[in-house]
Amino acid sequence: MPLSTPPAPQSLQHAPGPQHRRPAVTATGLWRAYGSGEAQVVALRDVSVAFAAGRFTAIMGPSGSGKSTLMHCLAGLDTTDRGTVDIGGTIITGMGDKALTKLRRDKIGFIFQQFNLLPTLTAEENILLPASIAGAKADPAWISQIIRTLDLQERLTHKPTELSGGQQQRVACARALATRPEVIFADEPTGNLDTRSSGEVLRFLRKSVDDFGQTIVMVTHDPSAAAYADRVVFLADGQIVRDLDRPTADAVIDTMRGFENRVPLAGEAA
Amino acid sequence: MLRAALKGMAARKARLALTSIAIILGSAFIAAALVLTASIQATVDDLNAEAYAGADALVQPADAESRSEDLVQQGIPAEALAAVESTAGVDHVAATVSWAISAIGDNGKVVGGLAPTTAVNWGDEARERELREGRAPETDGEVAVSAKFAADSGLGLGETVTAYSQTTDQTEYAIVGVYGYAGGRDSISGGTEIAFTTAEAQRLVFDGEDAYSVLAVYAADGTGADDLVAALEPVIGAESQVTSWEDYNAEASAQTAKLTKTIGNFLLGFGLVAVFVSVFLIANTFSIVIAGRLKEIAMMRAIGAGRGQVVRSILAEALLLGTIAAAVGAAVGVAGGAGLTAAIANSFFDAAQVSVAVPPTAILAALAVGIGVTVLAALVPAVRASRVPPVEAMRAAAKTDRPITLLTVSGAIIALAGGGAMALGLTGNLGGDTADLTGTAVGAGLVFVGVTMLTAWLSKPLVGALGLIWSWNFAGKLGRRNAGRNPRRTAVTASALMIGVTLVTATATLLTSVKASIEDYFGEAVKAELFVTGPAVSEVPASFDPAVMDDIRAIDDVDAAVEVYYDIADIDGTDQYVNTTTDFGGIVDLFGGTLAEGDSDELADDEIAVNQSAADELGVGMGDIVTATFSRGTEAHEFTVAAILVDNENTDGWYVAPAYVEEFYTTKPMMALVDVADGADIDAVTAAVDDALADEPEVSAQNHEEFVGEVTVFFDFAIIAIQLLLGLAMIVAVIGVINTLILSVLERTRELGMLRAIGMTRGQTVRMVIVESVTIALFGAVLGVAVGLGLGWALQNALADSGVDVFAVPTTLIAGYLAAAVLVGLLAAIAPAARAAKTNILGAIAYE
Repeated sequence: MPLSTPPAPQSLQHAPGPQHRRPAVTATGLWRAYGSGEAQVVALRDVSVAFAAGRFTAIMGPSGSGKSTLMHCLAGLDTTDRGTVDIGGTIITGMGDKALTKLRRDKIGFIFQQFNLLPTLTAEENILLPASIAGAKADPAWISQIIRTLDLQERLTHKPTELSGGQQQRVACARALATRPEVIFADEPTGNLDTRSSGEVLRFLRKSVDDFGQTIVMVTHDPSAAAYADRVVFLADGQIVRDLDRPTADAVIDTMRGFENRVPLAGEAA
Repeated sequence: MLRAALKGMAARKARLALTSIAIILGSAFIAAALVLTASIQATVDDLNAEAYAGADALVQPADAESRSEDLVQQGIPAEALAAVESTAGVDHVAATVSWAISAIGDNGKVVGGLAPTTAVNWGDEARERELREGRAPETDGEVAVSAKFAADSGLGLGETVTAYSQTTDQTEYAIVGVYGYAGGRDSISGGTEIAFTTAEAQRLVFDGEDAYSVLAVYAADGTGADDLVAALEPVIGAESQVTSWEDYNAEASAQTAKLTKTIGNFLLGFGLVAVFVSVFLIANTFSIVIAGRLKEIAMMRAIGAGRGQVVRSILAEALLLGTIAAAVGAAVGVAGGAGLTAAIANSFFDAAQVSVAVPPTAILAALAVGIGVTVLAALVPAVRASRVPPVEAMRAAAKTDRPITLLTVSGAIIALAGGGAMALGLTGNLGGDTADLTGTAVGAGLVFVGVTMLTAWLSKPLVGALGLIWSWNFAGKLGRRNAGRNPRRTAVTASALMIGVTLVTATATLLTSVKASIEDYFGEAVKAELFVTGPAVSEVPASFDPAVMDDIRAIDDVDAAVEVYYDIADIDGTDQYVNTTTDFGGIVDLFGGTLAEGDSDELADDEIAVNQSAADELGVGMGDIVTATFSRGTEAHEFTVAAILVDNENTDGWYVAPAYVEEFYTTKPMMALVDVADGADIDAVTAAVDDALADEPEVSAQNHEEFVGEVTVFFDFAIIAIQLLLGLAMIVAVIGVINTLILSVLERTRELGMLRAIGMTRGQTVRMVIVESVTIALFGAVLGVAVGLGLGWALQNALADSGVDVFAVPTTLIAGYLAAAVLVGLLAAIAPAARAAKTNILGAIAYE
């Protein structure tokens, strides 16, 4: 579908619902396409969504639904063709590389599926990495609180290769939290972990929202991981197709199964 | 996947291209060395063939170079000329008088510098001369000069030129003609020439004797060259020899070969260093390329490819790379060698035409070395790759570094063995000086190899320590950690630089120590404050009129002034360095010598003094009799050994009474020592001495520092030459560091993406790579400096008995090497840092 075609109006039921709290991240009318002409793939079609501060939101959808692209655009890692992204009151779309880098450093925390830690640094140095990059001093009381919460006291001097996958991901969580960012983006944080380690990481994410008021946006395709969230936003073919509050794993699975049967979605939307 | 594969291939192409530069350099130097040698030989042979062109036989003094350094000039007596002219089968004879003299230009300086002016007799037929202006010299006060001489001296037709030889005083001549040579050339081989009348040339060259340097004999019709030579042999007398023109040329060609071989060997040395350093680089590149293809190799192994096939496929790649690079190198080398020949021929030989010779060996050697080195260097990584079990390589798990224990242990053993050999050699426990020196040298070599093997182990602590320089900066800290991440790779990369820096540091340390030892000696033992002497690097030794000595002695504050004459004499059948002076005691005193036996009384005409080791060499002692013949002497004299000096480089040699000066090759003093009164203004005395020397263009008054500088000027040349070697090693090192860094950046793409995602700026990324690069380069340089200093120290100790008793560190040079290493690091970081800064965050963190 060529971009020049005016966007179809988004049906109201998928628009961001009324929020009790101020939004930490807001996307308005996001469009993102890759390639051109016949080969053009539209990853995001007019996506508008807000993520409330102090809440844990999961983004779900089948492969190719655009969930990763959405996260990358929200985090200032990818550019958008149209629309705006607002993080903590700052419009980040259109910012230059320097400003975006600084924004990611100061306002955003990241947890990736893998390659999260620098192998040359110890666990503690990895946790302090964003502060070090900024040339700033991290708040020691805050850091020790995170370390205690994540039960990493005994592992601080270890190099990543000396840690288990779960421990590594807990270090990554600590690092994401260390600068008290406006929002943490977690991209399939449990994708490489066993069930037990996944549980630990997810419980910590939940706890950091509940206890510290942290805002977290997590991309996942695992319904049981999504069940830890306050809200699940479902994407399919670059559009938000369902918005679920207080999800259970079963509800998520049902929803997923629901739009597996509802092919083709794009035609329906047009 | 396809894009990734293409990207990987492109990256590899760049890396292979970089590696091939090292091979190209090595091959090119080897080809250039051989082409240059052959081409200069051909060019000079052509030049030589012009000499005496048309003559059939040449009569030369017998035994023309009986003693070292070419000092001896004997002539063919006039009787021999008469005999030759009256021999049957001789059409005519052209007699040449030719030897180096000194001539003063209009700036008051000696014309020619390093290359002396040649005196010839106008009318000889050694060269085809073409008068350009004026006429031929007709009286003894007239000369014609070569166009090159006119240009160099600034003197022309109608002006006068002052010239003198080793045996004559300064004389003024009127320039009545200016000439060039066949082909419109201004000079032959760049030399300057003055043509005198035959009688005047003989006065300059043979001290007035009616003698000739060469007789060019032209055969009458019907007489062959061989017959002519056979006919001449019985008539020329014992002091002369006859050769055919062909043999003469062959001899000249052989002489040239010596020179060209030296130049060629120098270039070959460069080539070999480049090749040696390249081995590390090529091995590293192949390890890297193979590491990136482990999965591919494992897949091949899994579907049934044998180990041999894996090795062969990698070697085939090496062979292809080696062949292409060596071929390019050979072509570059041939072109470079030809260009260099033209440059050298035009600037030094003024050749009418440049002959470029490309011997097949040049191309074959360049190809063989380039291909051989590449394949050999790829062999180790290839065999290693073939040993990887398919399953292991298929796992995505991070590649763990192979342990470096074996390498470290064997490196330590070799280094220790070398150290042991050095210690034994230095303490003289190997029995015999030669064995001790050899032991020390072999030990030094072993230490070098051992430390090269230890670099991987050393890299951990050293890279960490070096990196502390940057730890104020976070990006710097990361860079430092990265540099220490893969010890083996860091070590191989740094080795290229280490080898070069070790070589230059060791050489510079030794030479600086020698210099310092000489300076030290002068400061302590030499009593004379000033030396009257000329440049050490001139073909005709600088000399001056002894009459100026009285003027110097008359200067206020000059306590004593003694002049010294030198000659190479035949003493008991060996070439020996002989001095004479009007004040034997004075020279020993002023030069800081001491007597072992006898006293420093003036030597009688039948007495001789000598230093201990020279006496031992001839097996003579006090009271023994030796026989000496001086350069121009016609008869042997007997001397009784009257004094023996303690060995000391400044006073070593034989001493005779001044009565024999007329038989010396140079009948004028070559040096004088001036003792300045204590507390006098040395600068004022220096100026006064220089005033006294105003008419002596070849010499000047020099203080200790200047004199030592003159004496040690060859060391400076040696250091410069060895520095060029370092430059070459540095080029290869830059390539090696670029190679390693690009690989590291590629390997760490995801890591870089993560760092950029969590807020690392492009500037920080660039700084991180630069620090890694500079740290690796500095690591190599620091190791090289350390090993070089150690080897230099060992060599100095080994030579301590020969007078090198001061250990001096060439601090400025070492600082320069370290600065150069930083530069290498910075240069090498440019491309990898740019690549790292451009890392696409999304591409880096996205999963397949």
